[in-house]
Amino acid sequence: MRRVLQIVLAALLVLGMAAFTAGCGDDDDGGDGGGQEDVSLTQGRDLTIAVITHGQGDTFWAVAKKGAEQAGKDMGVTVKYSESDNDPQKQAQLIDSAVTEKVNGIATSVPSADALRDSLKKAVDAGIPVVTLNSGQADSAELGAFAHVGQDEEVAGEAAGKRLAEGGSQKLICVVHEQGNIGLEQRCAGAKKGFGGEVENLQVKGITDISTTLTEIQSKLESDDSIDAVLSLNPDIAVAARDAVRGAGSEAKVATFDLSGDVVKAVKDGEIEFAVDQQQYLQGYLPVVFLTLYNTNNNTVGGGLPVLTGPGFVDKTNAAQVEKLAEEGTR
Amino acid sequence: MTAGAPLLEIEHVSKYFGNVIALNDVSTTVEDGQVTCVLGDNGAGKSTFIKILSGVHRRDEGEIRMAGERVDFASPREAKEAGIATVFQDLATVPLMSIWRNFFLGSEPTRGVGPLRRIDVDDAKRTMREEMRRMGIDVRDPDQPVGTLSGGERQAVAIARAIHFGARVLILDEPTSALGVKQSGIVLRYIVQARERGVGVIFISHNPHHAYPVGDRFVILNRGKLQGSWKRGEISRDELVQMMAGGAELDELTHELEQELQKSQ
Amino acid sequence: MTNPATTATPPTPPPTSVVDERMARVSLLTKLLRRPELGALLAAAAIGLFFAVTTDEFGTLDGAANWTDVASTLGIPAVAVALLMIGGEFDLSAGVMTGTAGLFMGILATEVGMDMWPAILLTLVAAAAVGFINGYMVVRTKLPSFIVTLATFFVLQGVNLGVTKSITGTVRVDGLADVNGYDSAFNLLGGSFSSYDYRVSVLWWVGITILATWVLARTRAGNWIFGVGGDAVAARNIGVPVSRVKIALFMTTAVCAALAGIMVALRLASVQASQGVGDEFNYIIAAVVGGCLLTGGFGSAVGAALGALIIGMAFIGIQFSGWNTDWRYLFLGVILLIAVLVNNFVRRSAEGARK
Repeated sequence: MRRVLQIVLAALLVLGMAAFTAGCGDDDDGGDGGGQEDVSLTQGRDLTIAVITHGQGDTFWAVAKKGAEQAGKDMGVTVKYSESDNDPQKQAQLIDSAVTEKVNGIATSVPSADALRDSLKKAVDAGIPVVTLNSGQADSAELGAFAHVGQDEEVAGEAAGKRLAEGGSQKLICVVHEQGNIGLEQRCAGAKKGFGGEVENLQVKGITDISTTLTEIQSKLESDDSIDAVLSLNPDIAVAARDAVRGAGSEAKVATFDLSGDVVKAVKDGEIEFAVDQQQYLQGYLPVVFLTLYNTNNNTVGGGLPVLTGPGFVDKTNAAQVEKLAEEGTR
Repeated sequence: MTAGAPLLEIEHVSKYFGNVIALNDVSTTVEDGQVTCVLGDNGAGKSTFIKILSGVHRRDEGEIRMAGERVDFASPREAKEAGIATVFQDLATVPLMSIWRNFFLGSEPTRGVGPLRRIDVDDAKRTMREEMRRMGIDVRDPDQPVGTLSGGERQAVAIARAIHFGARVLILDEPTSALGVKQSGIVLRYIVQARERGVGVIFISHNPHHAYPVGDRFVILNRGKLQGSWKRGEISRDELVQMMAGGAELDELTHELEQELQKSQ
Repeated sequence: MTNPATTATPPTPPPTSVVDERMARVSLLTKLLRRPELGALLAAAAIGLFFAVTTDEFGTLDGAANWTDVASTLGIPAVAVALLMIGGEFDLSAGVMTGTAGLFMGILATEVGMDMWPAILLTLVAAAAVGFINGYMVVRTKLPSFIVTLATFFVLQGVNLGVTKSITGTVRVDGLADVNGYDSAFNLLGGSFSSYDYRVSVLWWVGITILATWVLARTRAGNWIFGVGGDAVAARNIGVPVSRVKIALFMTTAVCAALAGIMVALRLASVQASQGVGDEFNYIIAAVVGGCLLTGGFGSAVGAALGALIIGMAFIGIQFSGWNTDWRYLFLGVILLIAVLVNNFVRRSAEGARK
């Protein structure tokens, strides 16, 4: 009997500690209720916004998360950020739970419109406003969202491809790190259009296994020395690509989509040519603002067109300025 | 079926594994209601002998007859269907399963038809308890896992099971070898009860002290060969022990040691 | 027949009823404690109660629709995996199998042009074939099933991606909603019911659990499964067709995984090539939390269902609680650890209570 008691007490203790640290350790999205101490300009609004992305705990989405949480602070609302680990069913279930919680707004990425259609319809039917972010621009309106915040991937891809071609490259590999993401496919498609030369897509393991990804890129470079440009679609992958180029002894130029502290530093040092910045901080920040304003003032944004957050280019000319911000995790 | 023929006749059976002669021209008989003890040291060929009788191996030479008719088992299943049940030393039962489930494993009584066919649990438990009672054990809790029973009790379950499912010949592979004195005695009692019920028992052992009290016929194997065969009364316990313990070699060794001792003095 | 009395054998003692003092009468409480599911039940109740009390939505019918949703797609393969584990084997390809099934069905429906239902049936048959191959290889090579099915896992993972890409050009199969027969298939397998939106898969999950429990407890096959898992050699010696049982178990595992994959694909009207990878461990965890021994021979289908329920409750409970989801996996791990410990403790005291 005593043992049972001990186990139960231990369990309660652990759970209690966890809840406590979760609640306080991160003062951005503690339990229920708004009203944080550092908000002095706007009074605490009793609104909860759910931000649901298909992130896998990577640096790209960490920036968006920071944006969302900062917006929560600035707007005086509660932001609940969740990631689905790139599992569409999980993302649908997360949206369903947000609807159960009767949140006041849902901001979600749409890596697969078919997968989320039902759950988003439920949200809209329940009277919850929806804003899509990052991916799913083409389906956004049909899914019931009143705004989309993101980057037109094909346009950005074209710009990146053009820049690499202008730099003299002739054969490009486009490193695809995520399965089933239309946006990434559009980037490579756009890059192909803008590059003009030979472009090959290379599917790699991904963010969950960077060392394998590095090996995959390196092997590709070693097997084909006519490759003189590598375009990655994620900052973590970009760092792996840079290391792979070095490891293969290749002269290929590396460019990437999206920033991180490491990427900006590498751009500054000339190891990476440029980074296409979609400013995902805004993709976390703006939807929260839009949803709050929809709730308080019935405002909608965009006029039917997406609110574009990119492409912006970070290269040697502006890297130093961006670097400090990237290190803080907001760029 | 030839009237008056012994239950099991093994005649001039040999078995080779490549170059190794595991059994060389071995013959013996088993009668209903009698215990034939097959004795021998480790490596004498006892396990090969059982495996041939139980259908695990096929004999290379010789003939085996059951009630006068030739038999040739291609698999353990065939031997089992012919009525030869083998209880192996440590592989008789599944410890995590209950007694009644163990008892009926592979031959579960059923009721109903088609997809609704299910085990008749009440019948199974009742029958098991009855059979165990005939072995002298009152099982209060049929759901008790077999693993909680003692070694001797587990043997009892295996023996009762074999008899219940119509074993005409019951082969016991070293049932007492892993047991303590009291447990061994209990198992010997079960062997006798099996005999009482008309089953022909083949009791394999390397311990003549256990074999002697219950045997009707004694057979000693040595290095695959039949060293000797006696009916009860034709050999005394001490003779049996001496033959088994390699008496002649032991005598020689004792003699040599004594000589060494005398020399050094 | 020789009369034993004529030879000088010692007289047979009459079979008296030997009452072994160790075989005591067993109380109802001990019988209850002995059940493999008890620990999982207590853990599920504790976790459910915890979240129901600390959040507003968890204990409502609306909230229950969410956590039963997560539990059901996990639970259907978990029950089959539990049966397989009771039979003494593992299947690491069960998770990726859900993806393979969804993709196979999707490609048949959208690229080959089949109607939904024939595609579903063909997928189930194909899954049974994969299960058969798994089982056959394990039985033939006598290698640990862990290794054999790990190889299958890699093969299927590669096939999922490679075939999908070469056929559709992308890493996803889309457009299932336009296929003939989709609506009826969706309603039966992928949809939801009631105003609270409970998923149909929950009903399937409960039904499959009941069926599996019945098989284990009341049929010959169930007895054989326990026997094969507990001591395959003893079972074989007593005449149980061990190979057939194991192959059948691998086949049911693959078919149940396929069914779950089909349900997900119908629900989402699309399938991602990476679907299911990683879920194989959730199935095993659910089975272990539910009382299955890793070494086989012991466990229960209801236990695995409760294990899946615990995982579902933990996932959604953490969501509702608003805890920082960066720590989500830590919480999940702690909760599962507690569940396993409770289970272990209960089983240990059951064995002790036998005295």
